Amino acid sequence: MMRHILVAVIVVLFGLIFARMVGGYVELDALRPLALDYVTRAPVELGTPNIITGILITYRGFDTLGEVAVLFMVAASVGLLLKKDDAKPASAKVSSPKVSGEKTAAAKPVLAKTEAARAAAARSAAAKANASARAATAGSVAVKSTKEAAPAEDDEAAPREASEIVRTGTEILLPLIFTFGAYVIVNGHLSAGGGFQGGAVVASGVMLMLLARPGSTLNVALLSIIESFAGVFYVGLGILGLVLAGGFLDPRFLPKGEFGAFISAGAIPLISALLGIKVGAELSVIIDRFRS
Amino acid sequence: MVDALFHPLNIFLFGLGGGFVIPLLYRLGKPWLHAGFFIALIGIVAVSGVSFAGLLQGGPTIEVLTGVGLPPLSINLRFGLWEGFFTFGVNLVALLGALHLWDRLKGNYGALLLYLILVMGIDGMVMTRDLFNLFVFLEIVSIATYGLLGLDRNAAAMSAAFKYIMATVIASTLFLLGTVLLYYVTGTLNIDALIEHRAQIAGPIGTTALLMVLACLVIELKPFPANGWGLDVYEAAPSGIASMVSVGVSAGVFFALMKLLPLFQDQLGIIAVSGGISFLFSNLIGCKQTKVQRLLGYSSISQMGLMMLALALLTQIGATASIPLVVGGLFVNHLLAKAGLFWLAGVLKQDDVDARTSLSGRPLLLGLLALFMVAIAGLPPFPGFWAKWELVMQLTSAGKLPWIAVILTGSLLEAAYMFNWFVRAMRPSDARAEARPDLVALLPIYGIALLLVIAGYIAARLSGAASLWIFAPLAVGVVLYALDWLPGRLKAVLMLLAVALVGFWLVENATGIAWLFAVLLLGGSLVIAAASLYREDSRPGYFPMLAVLLLSIPALLRSSTSLEFFFSWEIVTLASCFLIAKGRGAGPHVLTFLLFSLLSAFFLLAGFAGIASVSGTTSLTALLTAGPDATTALVLLGIGFLIKAGTIGVHVWLPGAYTEADDDFTAMLSAVVSKVAIFGLLTGTYLAIRSEAALELAHGMAWVGMLTTIAGAVLALRQTDFKRLLAFSSMSQLGYIVTAIALMSHLGWVTALYLVANHMMVKGILFLAIAGIILRTGTRSFGETGGLARAMPVTFILFVVAIISMSGLPPLMGFGGKWLLLSAMTDKGWNFLAAAGLFATFLGFLYMIRLVAGLFFGKRMAGQANVRELPIALLVPQALLVVGILVLSLYPKLLMDPVSAAIDPQFASTLVWQGMSLYTIYGYWNPTPVMFIAVAVAAALGVIAWAVYRSGLRGGGNLARFYAYYRRGIEQAMPPVATLFWQGVTDFTLATAATFRQVYTGNGQTYAMYVLFYFLALYLASTGPAGFWIAG
Amino acid sequence: MTTGLPVSTILLTTGFLLALIGIWGMLTHRNILRIIIGFAVMDTGLHLVMVATGYITLGTAPIIDGALSKADAASRAIDPIPSALVVTAIVIGLSVTAVMLAYAIRLYAAKKTLSIDAFTESKW
Repeated sequence: MMRHILVAVIVVLFGLIFARMVGGYVELDALRPLALDYVTRAPVELGTPNIITGILITYRGFDTLGEVAVLFMVAASVGLLLKKDDAKPASAKVSSPKVSGEKTAAAKPVLAKTEAARAAAARSAAAKANASARAATAGSVAVKSTKEAAPAEDDEAAPREASEIVRTGTEILLPLIFTFGAYVIVNGHLSAGGGFQGGAVVASGVMLMLLARPGSTLNVALLSIIESFAGVFYVGLGILGLVLAGGFLDPRFLPKGEFGAFISAGAIPLISALLGIKVGAELSVIIDRFRS
Repeated sequence: MVDALFHPLNIFLFGLGGGFVIPLLYRLGKPWLHAGFFIALIGIVAVSGVSFAGLLQGGPTIEVLTGVGLPPLSINLRFGLWEGFFTFGVNLVALLGALHLWDRLKGNYGALLLYLILVMGIDGMVMTRDLFNLFVFLEIVSIATYGLLGLDRNAAAMSAAFKYIMATVIASTLFLLGTVLLYYVTGTLNIDALIEHRAQIAGPIGTTALLMVLACLVIELKPFPANGWGLDVYEAAPSGIASMVSVGVSAGVFFALMKLLPLFQDQLGIIAVSGGISFLFSNLIGCKQTKVQRLLGYSSISQMGLMMLALALLTQIGATASIPLVVGGLFVNHLLAKAGLFWLAGVLKQDDVDARTSLSGRPLLLGLLALFMVAIAGLPPFPGFWAKWELVMQLTSAGKLPWIAVILTGSLLEAAYMFNWFVRAMRPSDARAEARPDLVALLPIYGIALLLVIAGYIAARLSGAASLWIFAPLAVGVVLYALDWLPGRLKAVLMLLAVALVGFWLVENATGIAWLFAVLLLGGSLVIAAASLYREDSRPGYFPMLAVLLLSIPALLRSSTSLEFFFSWEIVTLASCFLIAKGRGAGPHVLTFLLFSLLSAFFLLAGFAGIASVSGTTSLTALLTAGPDATTALVLLGIGFLIKAGTIGVHVWLPGAYTEADDDFTAMLSAVVSKVAIFGLLTGTYLAIRSEAALELAHGMAWVGMLTTIAGAVLALRQTDFKRLLAFSSMSQLGYIVTAIALMSHLGWVTALYLVANHMMVKGILFLAIAGIILRTGTRSFGETGGLARAMPVTFILFVVAIISMSGLPPLMGFGGKWLLLSAMTDKGWNFLAAAGLFATFLGFLYMIRLVAGLFFGKRMAGQANVRELPIALLVPQALLVVGILVLSLYPKLLMDPVSAAIDPQFASTLVWQGMSLYTIYGYWNPTPVMFIAVAVAAALGVIAWAVYRSGLRGGGNLARFYAYYRRGIEQAMPPVATLFWQGVTDFTLATAATFRQVYTGNGQTYAMYVLFYFLALYLASTGPAGFWIAG
Repeated sequence: MTTGLPVSTILLTTGFLLALIGIWGMLTHRNILRIIIGFAVMDTGLHLVMVATGYITLGTAPIIDGALSKADAASRAIDPIPSALVVTAIVIGLSVTAVMLAYAIRLYAAKKTLSIDAFTESKW
């Protein structure tokens, strides 16, 4: 209860701060100089109708590169975290028996503590009045655990097939999704969309596929190679910009082309495509890692 | 071409390119993977290093442009001196850190790429000049950290990582929102433009946005109390990762704060308070901690707090010129020392301070541990020392005295828990010596220790104190340490030679009283140090450290500025601390010694700072000229020196340290090292002569000295351990000297110097004799000795000469000293003091009789029939000192003349020498009656005491029983008030720490609440209650 | 428009409300998955706020096409920067969520519970 009061205090105080900000907010009625610069210069300098893509890929391309790095790292982190434990000895082999000794020593008290902690949690849970929310939590935990346990066993024997409807739906939708994703990716410089958005669409397609065919495997190795190459090429394009044009990540080393044409706006579509491939591959890899 | 190769932009090409390529290299095979990783990492280090070197040689600040167009439009980065310093430092440590973590990183491509991009991300945080780009780099760093925290997969590490994520996600969300809102308010994201248009950031949205950005940075620096999540990670993560979080990530965040500081001009006070609270409380709570990595976590957090505090305050008082030395020094100190400590803890696999993984069998590792701790505690010669000095100087001159109290208290607490670990690590353990950690694991630690030393030298250069002579003691120590494999006696000879040569070179430039002290102490220390030849064992590390100690004393005496003085003072403290630690049972006493020494040093620091702010110079001559407004500073200095002299109330460090140190080193401590404090007192009180107000203080000090004498004598009487008895006797005798100095007259000061010479020689003889007796009999207890006069006649004679001189009986030197003292006191009209002095003399007689009788008279103990005379190596130094006593007793003029000459500039001369007699301006003083009275009073008191004893006992009794009878009385009459008091202080501190650490419940959700509350508190502190009202 | 409240103010308020709901959820629920959802809700709310601050009265998406000529762009386009930033912010938010979920799986594997109260190994 005490906690709820404290949380309520936090929320109310933040609410007041937010309210004060809303009170001080005035909708802008004209672009500020810098924004105006972007809006007027992007189409001319870069030849891209989609100003936001122009900003993302060129003016603030450094951010985008960082963002790609973030996604890339997430794929690696999730991989690191969810790696099966049996892969452990291979990497820990070299670190001598001392480590494993330490491990077992550490494991024991942890187990004991777990029991205690669970008992304590159970006690406190029972004591609390608002049991309904808690029950829901516990229920979801239980459901999740059985869910996790079931496919784990099934995976070994025979993966349960998805229903007819899902399969058929997938077969119809999947090509559409992938096509749409590709469209969004390559048209990023012309209309709403871009590498990130398209990549996400592609990855959602992959997710659908994995849901529909739980037994199917994703070629993660290939995807991560693609991902790496896309990243390397991205950096390479950046360097080309540095060498051939005005600066790092300057896409103007390719001709601007005709405004609004599919092949135009220098290297922006190229970068956009690489981004799309990279994001699609990365997200797919992440999804796949969560599956295992 | 070279320029293009080492352009700072390449840091990102190496980082990202390398990162993206790593999975490909992994497919090619592990050698490719590892080579690729190191090429990229070394590339990053090289780029930052070369660019930084270019800037150091006066190259222009490098602007890194990206994308199309110029800065406000596109993102730019900057590589100036500051950026170069931070990035190069972090990168170098990261490279060494990769070696340390190699066991974990090896073959694990995910971890390798995360590590690489983490390093790049930190560089990005440092270099970027775009607020949103800063956010992106912050996230890169965060996510890399999240991933790397997954290297250890036990439950504790996992849950710690999750708490860390919860807290940092909240923080970075604040940053994100703040950034976008700042864009809404100002229309730009460029940091330079934001700073330029600082005035536009106003109104509810602007203020809140700014505070959100600030709060994120402050929270990322883990402020107390919203920092439990950080501590958990420090505790549970692998040491290499924890060190990267502690030094790398924090460095990036701190630099971001520094970069944005012009935006936070109105919040400087808040930043300083936040830093101060973190510094103080982390160090307080750290005292209660025993888990090594968590301990280091507390220390990390406190260091960041200190840096925040320093940065904000120096900016506030406009002392921006000091920021490079202070903040840079603190940063590099923390960077190197903390990383070293984390790695050391990792290599030792020690997770608890109390764990019995002893270092006692590994002197080199112990040395490294000591090195890092000395650095963390802000002691010389490391950068933290110079930084703290400068910080205190600047804050004092700006009148920020409470802040100085915060800084010094926090530092003391930090030293307490760090050295507590050290002392425990030093304990001999029963466990069999484990396999030594392999060289590869230690390599990064050596590397970082070396960097630390270099950094210390550079910081000294910046402080303007890097002269050859001031580092000479340390240099000699290093050379001797390199020869530490030689046999023990050879090392002793080499040490003596080195001390003699370098020592006299150092003495040459000293002047006045300092010169006198230098000659006296150097001579004395050479003679006493020669006694170390009596032991044939190798004593690893002893001789180099002794050389450092003995040479630092003349270095201290020739100092011309308070900084040089303080530097040498701290080195003397440290060297004696480590030498005491060599004693077998010294463990807990080392810590006490060190803490009181540091307490003393901090008083000195505050005092010197006070004088510097009054006089505007750090030259020691300011002590002579400062006016009465320096009285506070004088008092601080006085307290500092009195603590170090072991006066009553703060004497608790003295007996343990003296008793448990190696026997021959105790002689050095008592005879020579203690005089350093006396010298400080003499020079420090120059001031008092100038100001009338200080005369009352001087009277007080005289009483402190006299009470010390009496208490020391009484305590000595209580002992059954004769080494301990001598330790208290030393305290008692120093009390006389303090009293003499407090007289603030020509006569008093001559007396003080005379007593100094006497005490040095006497205590040298006595402690060396004791060392020999312990060697021969193997005991320190009166109960197991007796009748040694026959077995060691030479020792007996030398001993008696020394005792006579100490007691003040004619005709030896001590007689002159005591006579001078009594005359000076009556001359000044301090008659009560004189009477107390007589009483003290009587008590002195009592314990001295006991000492001589207990050791040399009576029956020989069983089993000691074969006890021989002391080894020649111990007898010769004693004999030399006796010769010294005799010479000075017969020709006091030899000493008095130069003493008088040295003091004359400060006082009107009151002494005239004619032949062998001493005249004062008040006329001829006849020594004999005064002394007769003294002896008669003492004898009368003795007879009374004997009578009381006889009447109480009814029956015969020997001398030993006589003492035992009074010992009981004394014990009942004088409870150990001081010991109890300091024990109480310790208990109180620990209890407070235990109370405050209750905030760390371990629950991640609670920590998330703390973080949000922290923002609210920060917000409230900045805007006031009006900030929570819509129209406010 | 007819309410008198500018559209972006409505968006702003909605975003902030969503953020508050997120904070409430993240601090009151014990289940780690729900806490993560709380974070995600808060994030989404703030993304709304960010987009809202870039709105220019009567503006339109800054894409030059049939609806917005190059010449009109200066007067009718909304500020493109917040939109660009939000793309980055969303990606980063997603990344963080993914990492948190991965940790949730590990935590569950370690103790077979998802209650945040069970993970208090290190304290003091």
